[in-house]
Amino acid sequence: MFSVLICDDSLVARKQVAKSLPDDWDVAVHFAKNGQEGINALIEGKGQLLLLDLNMPVMDGYQVLEQIKQQGLSTKTIVISGDIQPEAHQRVQKLGALEFIEKPVRAEVLEQVLTKHQIHTEIHHQQVKQLERLDPQVRDCYQEIANIAMGQAGDNLARLMNVFVKLPIPNVNLIEVSELVMMLQDIEDEESVSGICQGFVGPGVCGEALFILSDSSFGDVAKILNVKDEVDDQVQLELLMDAANILIGSFLNGFATQLDMHFSQGHPVVLGQHCNISELISTNKTRWRRTVAIEVSYGLEGYNVHCDLLMLVTEESMKIMNHKLSHWMED
Amino acid sequence: MSDHTELTEFHWMMDMLQTVDVGLVVLDKDYNIKLWNGFMESHSGMLPSEVRDKSLFELFPDIDCNWFTQKARQVFELKNRAFMIWEQRPYLFRFPNYRPITGSEDYMYQNITLSPLKSTTGTVDHICMMVYDMTDVAASKKLLEITQVTLGEINERESV
Repeated sequence: MFSVLICDDSLVARKQVAKSLPDDWDVAVHFAKNGQEGINALIEGKGQLLLLDLNMPVMDGYQVLEQIKQQGLSTKTIVISGDIQPEAHQRVQKLGALEFIEKPVRAEVLEQVLTKHQIHTEIHHQQVKQLERLDPQVRDCYQEIANIAMGQAGDNLARLMNVFVKLPIPNVNLIEVSELVMMLQDIEDEESVSGICQGFVGPGVCGEALFILSDSSFGDVAKILNVKDEVDDQVQLELLMDAANILIGSFLNGFATQLDMHFSQGHPVVLGQHCNISELISTNKTRWRRTVAIEVSYGLEGYNVHCDLLMLVTEESMKIMNHKLSHWMED
Repeated sequence: MSDHTELTEFHWMMDMLQTVDVGLVVLDKDYNIKLWNGFMESHSGMLPSEVRDKSLFELFPDIDCNWFTQKARQVFELKNRAFMIWEQRPYLFRFPNYRPITGSEDYMYQNITLSPLKSTTGTVDHICMMVYDMTDVAASKKLLEITQVTLGEINERESV
């Protein structure tokens, strides 16, 4: 969903700006009380559009614009301010703001500006663009090898745990940081999760596997794995590691076989137990911009177990992968 | 000539496996020790000849047999690698700290990786265990957590 961040120190102003957004516009609206909060929210991918006030405590609007430039954050900024000096207009536009709207903001004016810069109408384009960014043939091919690898992983899980694994269709996308955050938020669905992340690298191909298990699954996982002890944090970590070892390991095995290469796996890292999912990746998401994401959601029949396996492969790895898979793509 | 080169390389490889700062152990399906490299020898004080063909669980009664076999089972059965990290259990082998004087912990924190070794027929009759020293990482993480808690307490006190 398109996200709009309203950054203003005044509660009244924030509400007023939110109310002025086009009614038919299905967006996620986020708020920030000062510039620093605004920058943090942008880093978290909460503002494809930024509606920015200029005079704020901690960090003002000018500094926010400078930070956006410096950190190369991708957002479109419209300044909404009571400062009507011509110099203010020029300054913010020099700093990269698209437009300057005077307070109090009126819905018609905002709509005009959004249309002028193709922000409001742009949502649809963007969804189409996202699908097209990955060549359909390449995407099909990735989906197919993911399907096979996922099936093998599911089969291994089923055999070792003696359960029936419900297999979904793997989701393959070329995504940006902000989209990963959104994707994970979708998974989250307001429940707490635990995760394991593990790097893998083969000649020319590298990435990370992210295994996420919802906390409500632990009781049933313990039953399946025959754990009789009380499920405390330590037991949960064991269960998480066991499930992650099986799924990540077998998926990578299948993946590697089809690519005819061998992957080295790094040590798994626990991504904090029972934390909010956006916190899981907020600490280290500034380093990369785009990644191929293969998303697989496993469920177990008859059990309340839900886990997600996210295989993230760097954009640079695509070249080698496509080369290795060229026989899939011919004819 | 090329035979000679290969032989030399083989010797180098063996020498490196012997001296690499990672513990290497080969186990068979009954968890008998088949190989024990220099790292394991130095830290445990047991010679390869002392441990060869002896059961891992008999030599190290501290290792939880059920726990370990459950991890190893998937390596034998699924030909998967299995990972155990120090957060689960601080160590598998109770080795003293690598730095006995300046180290802050008493024993070595370990990450363990189990990896399948395929026989010529493709079956997995042996697994390889790699033991990594994670003491410094664990010590830093513990220190960081303590600092975060202290900082949180200070913040709380100030906001009252």
